[in-house]
Amino acid sequence: MSYIEVNNLRKTFTVRKKREKGKFFREMEIIEALQGISFVVEKGELVGYIGPNGAGKSTTVKILSGILTPESGEAKVGGRIPWKERKEYVKHIGVVFGQRSQLWWDVPIVDSYSLLKDIYRIPEKDYKDRMDELVEALQLEKLLRTPLRLLSLGQRMRAELCGSLLHRPELLFLDEPTIGLDAVSKLALRDFLKWENKEHGTTIMLTTHDMEDIAELCSRVMVLGHGQKLFDGNLKDLLEKYDTVRTVTVKYNTAEPKLELTEGAQIIKKDGEIRITYTPSEIPTANMLELLQRAGNINEMTLESENIDHLIAAMYKEMDL
Amino acid sequence: MRAYISVFKMRLKMETQYRGAMLGGIICQMFFGIVLVALYRALFDSKAQTIPIEQVTTYVWLQQAFFRMMVATDMDLWDKVKTGNISYDLCRPVDMYWFYYIRISAQKLMGSLMRGIPMMIVAFLLPKGWGMVPPASFAGLLSCILALVIGLLCMCALENITMGFTMRTLDAKGMQGLLNLLMVTFSGNLLPLTLFPDSWQKVITMLPYAQLLDAPIRLYTGEYPVSGAPLIFLRQAVWAVILILLGVWFWRANRKKMIVQGG
Repeated sequence: MSYIEVNNLRKTFTVRKKREKGKFFREMEIIEALQGISFVVEKGELVGYIGPNGAGKSTTVKILSGILTPESGEAKVGGRIPWKERKEYVKHIGVVFGQRSQLWWDVPIVDSYSLLKDIYRIPEKDYKDRMDELVEALQLEKLLRTPLRLLSLGQRMRAELCGSLLHRPELLFLDEPTIGLDAVSKLALRDFLKWENKEHGTTIMLTTHDMEDIAELCSRVMVLGHGQKLFDGNLKDLLEKYDTVRTVTVKYNTAEPKLELTEGAQIIKKDGEIRITYTPSEIPTANMLELLQRAGNINEMTLESENIDHLIAAMYKEMDL
Repeated sequence: MRAYISVFKMRLKMETQYRGAMLGGIICQMFFGIVLVALYRALFDSKAQTIPIEQVTTYVWLQQAFFRMMVATDMDLWDKVKTGNISYDLCRPVDMYWFYYIRISAQKLMGSLMRGIPMMIVAFLLPKGWGMVPPASFAGLLSCILALVIGLLCMCALENITMGFTMRTLDAKGMQGLLNLLMVTFSGNLLPLTLFPDSWQKVITMLPYAQLLDAPIRLYTGEYPVSGAPLIFLRQAVWAVILILLGVWFWRANRKKMIVQGG
């Protein structure tokens, strides 16, 4: 049996529409947030869960963390049904909602941790060991006596992570953990997540809009759109289909290079630089480079693949999201 | 159990951080106290009343001293409901109703003691006919304290019911405003319940709001004899149980329909 088993999970929300003219009551609209999602996750996996806003990512996380009850379908995590055995179940999981806070606003964060210690009944010794470990890994030692309200966003996210991992959960849900973080904080956070996953075998399920997060962290990615699962596999396979274009930028020493390009390549000349966009399946990269060298004396050249965000945008577009 | 004790302690500690707010609260409540006492003195001067003035002023001061117990709300909890931070509390291995109940009780207890004790000291020092008088008897004082504790239990249960409405409407102000109006009126904060017509009192003293502060104060002033105290405790306890059961049921119903909006 797999660690997480989700089968045909459905969730609908009822939303009241604006009252139409001439009608006494407002009409209700039913929004299907999840239309029968199924997947399995093995223990120790690091899974990325992506999709445009409103795809149902957070809803899945909320159901799997025992907060919401689905309309129908089954889900079992470690043999437990999250919304039925909530109190027992949640002892084994940790959740980080990137846009919310679990620590107390006005008190030093270490006090919030000691409350969490009591909530999860963590033995004193275990708590100490774990704290030492997390405080070092997340560089929190200078912040422990500071009230949450004085921390920067990056510091706060680190503090939140520590809070969610104190009780050594087997499974960690991260809902947009890198939202609003600067580059350094993002890198540190990713390193930490990799470390936690490797060191403790924690299963991690991560929703994000930051493709770098996925590329860096996740061996597997699931794409969700309109409440349905559209893709499940590794990121490379997902991108290969959309990763069709290369851009090469060259600068020549000679003033007027004689470029003889074949059909299908686009050229933009600007400030002595030449940008050529081409499709490797039509013009192999080796041929392209040969062409460029023949044209003149090359001063500088860079070859780039398409930006990952563009790829995802193209993918969402094709999937009609 | 440890979780509940821990959150209780934490909230006590947090309350002691707001000393500026405490001072402001004391000044505000002292002002209200003086105005009300002056008002009743004017009333008593123009027409002799059956109830001694000392009893009324003591009633007013005790009401003001424990005002915080009645209308204190934990803004953090409102915010949690409004912003959705409540999500975190929903995925903790604790019973949410009691977790919040305990938290509120710590705030009400600490908040009212921090304000009430200095205020009562000042009220005792005021001239006769303006300030507070000692309790009718030592037994009366003890039963007043016990009644206050049970009153606090009712209070927190009421607060959680308001919270249940907030979960539905996402706006704390509306329902809270309405319920606070009932509370301020029927708890004797606006006008001591002793001054209501006798026929009204028969009904009003049975309502849950009278159990909060009115019953303890009357035990203090001796209007309720100590011999009748057990019956009053019983009445309070019955209300506490009813209000708690109502709240638990309400929260459970909410939980099934719960959605956490946005993100």
